[in-house]
Amino acid sequence: MLGAMEVVSPTAPPRGARGLHRFANPGRFLRLAGRALPWVSAIGLVLVALGLVWGLFFAPADWQQGDAVRIMYVHVPAAWLASAGYMALACASAVALVWRHPLADLAAVEIAPVGAGFTAICLVTGSLWGKPMWGAFWVWDARLTSVLVLFFLYLGHIALTRAFDSPERGYRAGAILALVGVVNLPIIKFSVDWWNTLHQPASITLTGAPTMYVGMLWPLLFTALGASFIFAALVLARLSAAVMERRIRALLAARAEGT
Amino acid sequence: MTHLAYIVPAYVSALVIPAWLAGEAWLRLRRARARLLALEGGRRR
Amino acid sequence: MKRKHRRLAILLACGLGLGSAAALTLFAFRDNLVFFVTPSDLASRGHAGETLRLGGLVAAGSIRHATIDGQPAVRFRVTDGRSSVNVSYIGVLPDLFREGQGVVTLGTLAPDGGFVASEVLAKHDETYMPKDVVEALKKSGRWQPDAGPPPPAATWNSLPATRNGG
Repeated sequence: MLGAMEVVSPTAPPRGARGLHRFANPGRFLRLAGRALPWVSAIGLVLVALGLVWGLFFAPADWQQGDAVRIMYVHVPAAWLASAGYMALACASAVALVWRHPLADLAAVEIAPVGAGFTAICLVTGSLWGKPMWGAFWVWDARLTSVLVLFFLYLGHIALTRAFDSPERGYRAGAILALVGVVNLPIIKFSVDWWNTLHQPASITLTGAPTMYVGMLWPLLFTALGASFIFAALVLARLSAAVMERRIRALLAARAEGT
Repeated sequence: MTHLAYIVPAYVSALVIPAWLAGEAWLRLRRARARLLALEGGRRR
Repeated sequence: MKRKHRRLAILLACGLGLGSAAALTLFAFRDNLVFFVTPSDLASRGHAGETLRLGGLVAAGSIRHATIDGQPAVRFRVTDGRSSVNVSYIGVLPDLFREGQGVVTLGTLAPDGGFVASEVLAKHDETYMPKDVVEALKKSGRWQPDAGPPPPAATWNSLPATRNGG
């Protein structure tokens, strides 16, 4: 999907770099990301293609939902990644605020639009699943509302990081918003257990057997794993572009000063 | 297949949004790589 | 190194404060966060005249269909295992409506204790199974869908089934 990048920064990694800061060197990040991107994209595409064909044409229909249950193979991975993506956004924000990691700010900025996209998929497919099964495109129950709040948190992060003249201040404001929004994640997860909702509780849990026929579970696991790889590939590509764009800005600024 | 009127738009939305994000990322990568090559190549010469 | 640790401590303290504030708020508003009330809630608190959502399972053997002014009408009982409420509704029901199924109905509680619904939504549970599996469970007497929720998932989630599920 996306080709390897050939740009190699001439700067050497700082001496004695340890822990996360080993990846702070932009040149090294670009090299690693460029090497990983084709593989991550390809694995994601293959898994999703297998899972979707399996789910659409080979998995059994549900006894009461009929074929509408096949919307699950896109809805559930999108929902998982909407939350997981926000967790990644919050982690990047924490690393940026506490450790001032030079890539973390950029990572947060680039994760947000991808997370917003997957949240949008979750909302649209959920709505299209809800109408024929529940009888309504939308209801204001705790699960649906908290996922809509997640979508607005993503949009708010996107807007906030671009609202300041100095990017540093935008990053700072966005990081704080991202961390405050983490409160919403357990609400999304447990809304269906804590309060009466129209949305059903989770079928796949860590504690019990999945309340789903195995012939439906397998394609779901394929699309979920594949979608995770695609999410990662999108973030890697956007982050690589952002690193290069930052370098371009620095070079242009240096050139403007030099002349 | 039952409920095609709901299944088809659901799958289309699930394919179009990531494809759009991927296209955007690919364009950004290509443009940034070209500009950086031009800038750094010029500096090294 | 010192400042890094101070920033981390501030972040954790803020997180703790925000988390407890959120938990307290959610706890305080827990009655408003539910999408529907159960028949037991209705029985204990009484909401006569209010418009609210009532949710539960459609009781087995309780559905009575009729036609009023050319419109399909239905009466059924919604139960949560402890209490039940008689519901009347005029209009089109969702496809998943059946005895033993979850429903959420919007309406008002009449003085006679019956519930007059203007909207009926189906609430399905978290189990997904092909028709073959349901037939096998019915045949072996392990589950009657009208009567309530299915048996533990591990007992059925890998039984054989065909693509169309029968």
